[in-house]
Amino acid sequence: MRKVAIVGGGLAPFGVRQATWKELAQEAGGATFRDIKNLERKDVDSMFVGAAMPERFAFQSHVAPMVAEQVGVTPTKVITRTELACASGQSAIRMAYACIAAGLSDIALCIGVEKMNIPDPPEMQTSMACVLDREFDGVQGASAPPFFALCANRHMHDYGTTREQMAMVSAKNHHFSTTNPFAQFQKDIPVEKVLASPMVAPPLRLFDCSGITDGAAGVVLTTADRAKEFTDTPMYILGSGQCSMGSNLANYKSFSTWFPLKEAAKEAYRSAKIGSGDMDLAEVHDCFTISEIMEYEDLGFCEKGKGGKFIEDGQSDLGGKIPVNTRGGLLGTGHPLGATGIAQAIELMQQFRSSVPRQRLVDNAEIGMAHNLSGAANVHSILIYGRNPP
Amino acid sequence: MTATIRLPYLLDFYPLQEEKFTRIHQFFTNLKTGRFTTTKCRECGKMHWQPRAVCPDCGSENLEWVDLPKTGEVHAFTAMLLGAPMGFEKDLPFVIALVKLDGLDFKILSRVDGIKHEDCKIGMKLRFKTVTRDDGRVFFRFEPIG
Repeated sequence: MRKVAIVGGGLAPFGVRQATWKELAQEAGGATFRDIKNLERKDVDSMFVGAAMPERFAFQSHVAPMVAEQVGVTPTKVITRTELACASGQSAIRMAYACIAAGLSDIALCIGVEKMNIPDPPEMQTSMACVLDREFDGVQGASAPPFFALCANRHMHDYGTTREQMAMVSAKNHHFSTTNPFAQFQKDIPVEKVLASPMVAPPLRLFDCSGITDGAAGVVLTTADRAKEFTDTPMYILGSGQCSMGSNLANYKSFSTWFPLKEAAKEAYRSAKIGSGDMDLAEVHDCFTISEIMEYEDLGFCEKGKGGKFIEDGQSDLGGKIPVNTRGGLLGTGHPLGATGIAQAIELMQQFRSSVPRQRLVDNAEIGMAHNLSGAANVHSILIYGRNPP
Repeated sequence: MTATIRLPYLLDFYPLQEEKFTRIHQFFTNLKTGRFTTTKCRECGKMHWQPRAVCPDCGSENLEWVDLPKTGEVHAFTAMLLGAPMGFEKDLPFVIALVKLDGLDFKILSRVDGIKHEDCKIGMKLRFKTVTRDDGRVFFRFEPIG
């Protein structure tokens, strides 16, 4: 297998955008090529488009060739869309990684796009709810907030996790996003404000939930051997893990432990030849505050059941054991499904380059993780990135 | 009867239930007579949720319909207060629970009628009920016992 690196990337601003799905893709493509000075559009031989549901949000299928045209590339080796709901963006990177490692592609462009703000909010909610088993769980009212609320209810019951601890996750990530001009939310939301926000699905309140977001992001991958042709500061893929267990909620082993996350983490650490203690920072999937707390535990950052204490003790903040979600996470920057995994990779790359604002910089970071869950947390996807070649 | 707004099929959460649309039409026919059932494999003995056309464990299509317990308890609960999908807006707020069926490992997700989320507790006893929409389609929910 060939070693693989990311040589650059760029973002379209996240938020409620006055722009179409296609226009967001154009912005991400433009920003990506501007970031990689020595890359020409004709060098790109493959294209992967992360998009969760353009059929719903933009009434458009067959989006990969459309994005290729919008951003000015003509793939001659591999082109496809990757769909894995909330992990669609990371899936684009994973597929580009696999194709480059296998020798099917030499230079691949990944663009993740989602346009979620449409004129009628219930129509948007309908689309989000069909990510779960629509016929048997969706019909009972299971969409994202109720599912993660069930996990929170059970985690509070099993481990004594508190409402305040969950609110601390939101406050931390919103504070980080005040440093991020690409974020949907750029204001501090202190703990008291989280706890006073409207109840959405008890025990989760509005500021426990990530936003409904338009946005796009792009990165370019090539072999580790060729990476320095394009940039002085490539970011290398060190390892990977992914696991899918179940779909209908009745077949879950637990709602307070995410077993597929434990499996994905085991494989990611094994393939990168590291332990959880070797990472300098992590981008994890904080679609809801409870998610980040469970991820501390099931990724092995702390003991099972101690995720609430981990945030309370400041262990996931700058200066703690492992700074988590320095770009502001999904809670602070918003969550355009197809773009999120790619935006996380860009944050790690910019941290390794020390090009993020000082207020969120992790000094001398060398190893970082990007994690996404998807659906009802039945799938977990992890990539481990490094500043130095494997 | 539950009031029904007619939506395009691809914006409607309720499954099409007739024999011409699904191989598990018997599940819905059973619901109409108050039976809560699922499929069990006659070859390997595996019981499934949701009901299947093909056993995921051994691949057999030789399945039988078996009755599920009609009582259970709350394993975890929440409610939908905001953010309803189309067709659910007028139902807000409603309680949703994972219901651990008595004597089985399944924790089936269900709406719970007749209770506010403030009054719900983990471990609370529930019983099965059916709801019929005015287009004739049927589904199950749970409600507190007593």
